[in-house]
Amino acid sequence: MTAPDAAAGSSTEHAGARSSSTSTSTAAGDGPGDGDGARVGDDPRPATYVDLARAVLYREYLIFVRYPANAIGGIVVSLVFFGLLFFGGRLLAGRALADSLEGIVVGYFLWTLAVGAYSSVSNDIGSEVQWGTLERHVTTPFGFAPVALLKGVAKVVRTFLTSAIILAVMILLTGTTLAIAPVTVVVIAGLAVVSVLGLGFAAGGVTVLYKRVGNWLNLLQFGFVVLVSAPVLDRPWLRVLPLAHGSAMLQRAMVDGVRLWEFPLADLALLVGIAVGYLAVGSLVFHYATRRARRLGVLGDY
Amino acid sequence: MAPTTPDGPAPAPDGTPALSVEELSKRFGSGGDAVRAVDDVSFSVERGSVVGLLGPNGAGKTTLIKSVLGTVIPDEGTVRVLGRDAADGRRATYANVDAMLEGARNDYWRLTVRENLRYFATVGGVAPDSVADRHDRLLDRLDLAEKADTPVRELSRGMKQKMSLASVLAGGAKLVFLDEPTLGLDVEGSRTLRRELRRLAEEDDLTVVVSSHDMRVIEDVCDRVIVMSAGAVVADDSVERLLGAVDDYRVRVASEELSPATIDDLRGRFDVVDADAGADPPTVEVRTDGDAAYDLFDALRAADVTLDRVDTVEPSLEDVFVRLTGAGAGGTSGSEPGDEDGAPGTGRRRATVVGDDGGAR
Repeated sequence: MTAPDAAAGSSTEHAGARSSSTSTSTAAGDGPGDGDGARVGDDPRPATYVDLARAVLYREYLIFVRYPANAIGGIVVSLVFFGLLFFGGRLLAGRALADSLEGIVVGYFLWTLAVGAYSSVSNDIGSEVQWGTLERHVTTPFGFAPVALLKGVAKVVRTFLTSAIILAVMILLTGTTLAIAPVTVVVIAGLAVVSVLGLGFAAGGVTVLYKRVGNWLNLLQFGFVVLVSAPVLDRPWLRVLPLAHGSAMLQRAMVDGVRLWEFPLADLALLVGIAVGYLAVGSLVFHYATRRARRLGVLGDY
Repeated sequence: MAPTTPDGPAPAPDGTPALSVEELSKRFGSGGDAVRAVDDVSFSVERGSVVGLLGPNGAGKTTLIKSVLGTVIPDEGTVRVLGRDAADGRRATYANVDAMLEGARNDYWRLTVRENLRYFATVGGVAPDSVADRHDRLLDRLDLAEKADTPVRELSRGMKQKMSLASVLAGGAKLVFLDEPTLGLDVEGSRTLRRELRRLAEEDDLTVVVSSHDMRVIEDVCDRVIVMSAGAVVADDSVERLLGAVDDYRVRVASEELSPATIDDLRGRFDVVDADAGADPPTVEVRTDGDAAYDLFDALRAADVTLDRVDTVEPSLEDVFVRLTGAGAGGTSGSEPGDEDGAPGTGRRRATVVGDDGGAR
């Protein structure tokens, strides 16, 4: 890992500050102070990307463990919704539902993952705007982009934890059997969700510019149902949409027990391509939206 | 060896200013509705100095600060920070800069005070463990040590504000911008913050640009004031020299025997700037340059007015401000995009001379 270009670029300033402080500590014999209390034992070291990652992920972790109500609330709502779907569906469709139950459980699992990642990223960007913290990040040596990306990673991990609980309860409730090979499931579902993360960044960017429109974009998550259940076998072009291809692969992995390395290379490449592509487009939208907000002077508005 | 040199810990080889702004302009909107929020502003700030940015609401203070910081992209002009042109790489330019914008925002309220300091030191480019001692020292100085492990949301407004200041200084920034740092604080909170600001600036050899519509902040803390009005700089001088520029000394007398008729008579003969016949006791304030004071007391004696109270009124920065901008300090005009919406103090009586912002918001 390298230090951020800014820290390296500003080496004169940093180095100046450091050498001065070091000489101070040396002069004071590294003791607790010589009475005037200035800068003793204060030896700034430039932060690396590892430090940044630790700081951002630790913050996400703290919020998660300190305020569990959000996560628990999300799990409960998702399960209630699934319960209605399952019991209601059984009343209406009877055996037809039972035949496709495994597919529904897998699809619902992926949907909760997608919704969790999308809404947490887009809402989080909205909150950062409201708190004035996004604006503050803009002038830091790292900028907001790596912070947002790291937050995205944290959100995906968090969503996996909550969705795993939902999956477990769904399996118990319905009595279905699914193949849960951890590496296969995490890689396929993870990459599928990364494409949605890109949509989250794009929505976050729109929120930075148009605060109210951002709230409406939350409705997009219901559209994910369509993407998760897209008939990619009949219409292969649908695979280029976010989630669709990943969803089909996840169905095969969890319902038919296909392992990650048993998939054709082309399928895996497409999965990665779609993930990277949507993430890149989303980041670009976010970047330009933030830039436009800076030009219009609305970055700090709330 | 002294811990710091008189030029600060990281002097530029050629002693370049901490901040240099040239012909900066920012316009919002287009056509007839366009607002020139910052209009061809140039100034520079020497290292280690504390410069105040004073102006009514909508004068462009916040937009100027944000344009300098780059969170608002200016239309024209150059910004140099510690000798480095912002156009040559924004992030490198601002590596040693931090800002406290709009009071107590800009921090994570769900994290504790210390967690905020560590987080913002890191994103500011400094590994948090390497400045742990600095953080302890900051918390001590700002009386936050006891609250170090308390989530920010549980702190009082004043504490939040101090916490904001601490987090801005956590990464060891050399140039800090404070936008309305005392906004919403009570008298005591504002006084503490002013005292600490001054002390930190002196002891840590910081360069500070502080915007405020609170004259007391500027008078107490700043070496120099830049007065803005309608996006432009209308004055830029030391506080003392600006005060000296107003040769406006007044006497305020209060007496039960000041009848409306007497006050009318005084109005005819003296430069009466303020009078209140309905007050208890009635008062009159007269501009008294040269011998006018003697004449005033002679006139009062002749009118059989026994004086209850006599005060001399010295010119304040507010008088300078009113003269320069033609506005009350509390602001008159509407706000502009990104400016100080809802800042308290609107309609504050000038004669009360800069009260603090107790109870606002």
